[in-house]
Amino acid sequence: MTTAVQLDGITKRFPGVLANDDVDLTVEQGTVHALLGENGAGKTTLMNILYGLYEPTDGRIVVDGDERSFESPRAAIDAGIGMIHQHFMLVEPMTVAENVTLGAEPRKWGGLAVDADAAVREVAALSEQYGLDVDPTAPVETLSVGVQQRTEILKALYRGADVLILDEPTAVLTPQEVEELLSIFDHLTDQGKTIIFITHKLGEAMAAADDITVLRDGQTIGSIAADDTSREALAEMMVGREVLLEIERPPVETGSTLLTVKNVSTPSQRGVPAVSDVSFSAHAGEIFGIAGVDGNGQRELIELLTGLSTPASGSIVFDGEVITHASRRERIERGIAYVPEDRHAQGLVMPFDLVENGLLGNQRTSSFANAGRIDWAACKEHASSIIEEYDVRPPNPSASAESLSGGNQQKFIVGRELARDPTLLIATHPTRGVDIGSTEFIHEQLLALREAGVAVVLVSSKLDEVRGLSDRMAVMHDGMFVDTVDPDAVTEEELGLLMAGEHPTGGEQ
Amino acid sequence: MAEIAQRLKRRWLELALVSALLLALGVLFETTGLTLGDVISKRFLGATLRLSVPIAFAALGGIFAEKSGVINIGLEGHLIIAAFASIAGVILTGSVWAGFLAGVLASTLFAVLFAVVCIEFQADQVIAGLAIWLVALGLGPFLSTVLYGSVNTPQTGSFQAIAIPGLASLPVIGALFDVTPPVYLLYVAVIGCWYVLNHTAFGRWVNASGENPQALDTAGIDVTRVRYVSVILSGVLAGIGGAGYALSIGQFTGSGETMIGGRGFIAVVAYLLGNYNPIGAFLSTTLFAGLQTLQIQLQTGVLPASLVQTVPYITVIVVLAAVGHTRTPAAAGEHYESGDE
Repeated sequence: MTTAVQLDGITKRFPGVLANDDVDLTVEQGTVHALLGENGAGKTTLMNILYGLYEPTDGRIVVDGDERSFESPRAAIDAGIGMIHQHFMLVEPMTVAENVTLGAEPRKWGGLAVDADAAVREVAALSEQYGLDVDPTAPVETLSVGVQQRTEILKALYRGADVLILDEPTAVLTPQEVEELLSIFDHLTDQGKTIIFITHKLGEAMAAADDITVLRDGQTIGSIAADDTSREALAEMMVGREVLLEIERPPVETGSTLLTVKNVSTPSQRGVPAVSDVSFSAHAGEIFGIAGVDGNGQRELIELLTGLSTPASGSIVFDGEVITHASRRERIERGIAYVPEDRHAQGLVMPFDLVENGLLGNQRTSSFANAGRIDWAACKEHASSIIEEYDVRPPNPSASAESLSGGNQQKFIVGRELARDPTLLIATHPTRGVDIGSTEFIHEQLLALREAGVAVVLVSSKLDEVRGLSDRMAVMHDGMFVDTVDPDAVTEEELGLLMAGEHPTGGEQ
Repeated sequence: MAEIAQRLKRRWLELALVSALLLALGVLFETTGLTLGDVISKRFLGATLRLSVPIAFAALGGIFAEKSGVINIGLEGHLIIAAFASIAGVILTGSVWAGFLAGVLASTLFAVLFAVVCIEFQADQVIAGLAIWLVALGLGPFLSTVLYGSVNTPQTGSFQAIAIPGLASLPVIGALFDVTPPVYLLYVAVIGCWYVLNHTAFGRWVNASGENPQALDTAGIDVTRVRYVSVILSGVLAGIGGAGYALSIGQFTGSGETMIGGRGFIAVVAYLLGNYNPIGAFLSTTLFAGLQTLQIQLQTGVLPASLVQTVPYITVIVVLAAVGHTRTPAAAGEHYESGDE
């Protein structure tokens, strides 16, 4: 076996930050190598160095046995290194073939024209060769995220990449798309390509990788073959202490009914019902989970509960009063807190600092605003207390939201919502894209709320999470609740069937 | 259902707007005694093409700039300065073609200035574009007054129509082949721009630069360079429009909003209406130029001239409201700096 990439003692110092501290990484050719670590561990920095986006302060890069230094991505591409970023670098209105060949277009007529037919042919051939199944003539904006990602892979392959770096490739994918991606990894390595992928998900690293290198705080903690390790061992390497992967849910006395949803329905944009005839209730001191494959009406249902939209029919009663048509503001004032699914679009204003973000939703509260004038001193104090209590890093209230890692953004949102002292918390995908240390912390917070007698409605596409935390759990499919089950008693197989819309005991719903 | 109902409502609205416009035009025709024969004529078509020159060339330039991500709202300024410089050039050298080059050069210099301010110094593109317009609006008449003692320059030599034997004698469309050199240049430019944007690598890069500059950058193409070339090209094209227009008249008139009279702004509407397609932009230009020609003829009627003069502009508003679904480049107006992570 030959070594495709070797990084020796890579150090990268940014002003005030040591992002990589003497990191070593050896990747064998034709293997899948996972770079595992929490957010902010220095994984992406390390890969950006290999890809020529950053110059290392110190250290050696060896590719195919030759020591190299890349001044630009162009140089890295020429050396056969391709990178697929977390945010795709695609031109939406252009077709797959146009995107793949961008900047390296096949020409005809002595270079005067782009040979569009040749581009389509070449891209189709590549797609075929590596089992990517992408239509070269489709405009990128019409494609699912999974296919867009494969377009990015094609882009790298078209430029002759032998080593593919993928930054958090599964963060944006549905579970099925993740499966597809992993089988594409096999296709690629079968044909001699080498894959390095960045992740903070233990399960994926174990499932997809041949070897795993763990980074923590910018340092290499160790490299290990995936077959020789366990989730627990990896988690401990990542976090630096023992981590509870299993969620322990102590018994709690369930209180009165706080939320009653009766037969609510809402049409979606396309005319098919997004939520149809859903009924459930949530009690004080209870976590009510909603499981299901994303896109089965969870988002629309949550929007009805939070007041972002109103149902076409049915009613919602909270704490004895009908709130079916109450505004978002009214619901906030009644004590309904909300951790939204998309922290960038809904949870935070990214360019704003934490003081301003901490104020969001509180701007009418008398403790922050007096007769229309905002009391910035109080806001700052508020943000600082959230930062301290929820261990948001860096602990700087005037840092902009976008400068924080995903896990820290999420901790801040959770902190802001819980600081409202809610009686009902609606949390959607509260740990999506969050590292395991922060995930554990957020889980603890949700369980603490439950113990304090708050009702929690939890939507998550992570089965382990929703099963582990929920006292009762509904499975949603095609806008309906297929069934409400006891999460401790239901089996994995039964859940799978329910999520596909079938009753394990009898017929289709 | 709701969506279909919405779409129907929209269709009705568009229909109502267009019918109202047609009705208004009908009333105008009726009151002025103009006939359809006056409109479908060589004279009318020729006048329309002449008026198309400034609008269409500016629109072509605007397409390149905006598609690359830099909104050039200052096209009006490019037209004005090119118009003045071309006439001054003719007065200085006595050659119409030398004047033409002077006009294009002046507009190009303005574009270089605009590009440096917007790309290098990341100024707000709309404000910088308006500044270009205001500077030109002041500078043209000012220089004219300094050099020639009046905001209007003296009359100079101008481009003469060149008839293509045979084709020019065709009924009505013969007018297409009996025009001045700038109009022939326009035919070439429309096809050329369409070709460059759709069939060359540079066209792809312009497109990508305005949609997702980071994608272009990571593909190894210098976004800044693509944008510079596009903006300067917009200055060259608008310069041809301004110089070509002034030299078909043989005078620069600088009173009021100058002889350009807002055609640079109509150009923006023309390329939006043409959905950033050079051929579409040319066709919508002929619509506006045709209305301007019509408006000149309608002024002979009973309606007050100042009311009739608003016809092209009201049409712009109606057309924009009725079409209303142009897709602007996603990154238009946004600065891009390589290495921004």
